[in-house]
Amino acid sequence: MVREYWENKGAFRNTPIILGLITIGFMLMGITVQTQFDHNDFTFREGLRFLATQPEDLRGMYVTQSMMALSSFFISIMSIVTFFYLLGALYDDRKDKSILFWKSLPASDTLTIASKLFSAMFVIPLMFWATLIVTQIVLMIIGMLMIWNADQSAWGLLFGPAQPLKAWGIVIAGWLANSIWMLPLYGWLLLVSVKAPKVPMLFAILPPILLSILQAWIGFLQNFKMPESAVGVIKDWLVNSPAILAGGMHENSTGETTISVSLGVSLDSGFDHAPTLTNMVTRLVSMEMLYGLLVAAAFLSLTLWFRRRATDS
Amino acid sequence: MNAVISAHNLSKKYGKQYAVNHVDLEIKPGRIVGLIGPNGAGKTTLLKAILGLTPFEGELRVLGLDPSSNRDELMEQISFIADVAVLPGWIKVWQTLDVVAGIHSNFNRDKCLGFLSKTKIGMQKKVKELSKGMIAQLHLALVMSIDAKFLVLDEPTLGLDILYRKTFYTNLLNYYFDEGKTIIITTHQVEEIEHILTDLIFIREGKIVLDSSMEEVSRDYIELMTSAENATAARALQPLNETTSFGKHIFLFSDIPQSSLKELGETRTPNVADLFVAIMGENQ
Repeated sequence: MVREYWENKGAFRNTPIILGLITIGFMLMGITVQTQFDHNDFTFREGLRFLATQPEDLRGMYVTQSMMALSSFFISIMSIVTFFYLLGALYDDRKDKSILFWKSLPASDTLTIASKLFSAMFVIPLMFWATLIVTQIVLMIIGMLMIWNADQSAWGLLFGPAQPLKAWGIVIAGWLANSIWMLPLYGWLLLVSVKAPKVPMLFAILPPILLSILQAWIGFLQNFKMPESAVGVIKDWLVNSPAILAGGMHENSTGETTISVSLGVSLDSGFDHAPTLTNMVTRLVSMEMLYGLLVAAAFLSLTLWFRRRATDS
Repeated sequence: MNAVISAHNLSKKYGKQYAVNHVDLEIKPGRIVGLIGPNGAGKTTLLKAILGLTPFEGELRVLGLDPSSNRDELMEQISFIADVAVLPGWIKVWQTLDVVAGIHSNFNRDKCLGFLSKTKIGMQKKVKELSKGMIAQLHLALVMSIDAKFLVLDEPTLGLDILYRKTFYTNLLNYYFDEGKTIIITTHQVEEIEHILTDLIFIREGKIVLDSSMEEVSRDYIELMTSAENATAARALQPLNETTSFGKHIFLFSDIPQSSLKELGETRTPNVADLFVAIMGENQ
């Protein structure tokens, strides 16, 4: 377990920190650009005056929503980190022969795989989440200074009515739900990682694509129609993720359409994409999730079977 | 005491080729066994089967356990160094201690720190920054600090210079080995380990061609050094092998009374390397 953190300290700890710094950097750049064109902060003051006329709960919602929106930037980078972490998890030690060292220790292969999966599902999201919070606190402090500089009360105007705790809560709930939702893909990546003789990346991506081409070809022969392909299934899976990935239009229960961040990407109507806990739970107890877990279980048991037999050659 | 390893009819095939071919083997505790064979003879495959790293056919018990089904339990009592420099490159020296201490219940950290203090290895260094010899020192320090009943060393000093090799085996003998422990070593540098071995196993093409204790070896095998005039007489006694050096003829005999050779020339116990060449060269 500790091994996972040490081995991947770069990816686990440094990536989110760099990400946070980039975000703060972007904001500072934005401020600099803005002051270049607008020496007396005229537009900024105007904007704030306009904001002040808006109802309080709407102002609060702006902040809360943009906080949640920023998390989608973090999760997209986090997904890349997780993807490569899992692909390398059972591959790197075979490549550098250190598997012989790890296997000389009395830690079972089940434990090894479990700790890697645990890192991907919980350690990475929690570390990114912690950095996200720190980043947003820094952003809020900068924002407050700006607003004070424009002679307005930052607290009364924006941050008082905002609900940062709710935003952070929804974000981490979404990310953890996403970890469970993504299990079939994580299982696949670990399976590739344990078996790929080289370039695990290729082995991870090619089979679904080849399968899709084959499906398309067979489907075409049968009825001249494009059937649902393997890549399509993966795409549907991703857009239905229970984590906040994008902004979108939502119809709420009263039929009103609002613009807000969404769970996954609202491309299909299979699931409600509004960012609520209920919608996350709906995904986790769906039939899709059940199938997904079965697939994940199959992939993971195969992974274990292969890992037991894995050596350096 | 029970045997550390007992194998009956142990086989392992790669495709149609036998890497280990119906081997029977028994190793008693408290021995230091040299497993010697040419490249591709099946040494590493045999060790992998013993360590539960590869499936096999036949019957195999290591410390009374089946290595394929009780691997985790077995690894509590076995340590192994398979090949030089298999420690992961990214890890720092102090982290290897923490990892082993975390996983192995009978790891003695102070002992390990003691071994390391005699080397030039810095605790903050990453393994990939160490030389090959230092990695071997570190690995040996880790392994010697684990109180395991059985130690397997597969080419632990390959590619190291003579100084490192000497210290490696001296440390092993002085600070690790005792009656309760068993060591099995494979190496190409036979001459360097022959004085520490208690038993000798030769393996060729997956089959064991010699399995005896060092006492048996010195009792059963005699080397005769003689002049050209006596060579014909010596040849008549059916030696295993004949070589010449500096105009002298050297013959290797097995199971022959020393007295019958005395009059032909000088006799002595052959060293392992000569024995190896003679036995491996036989029937080829």
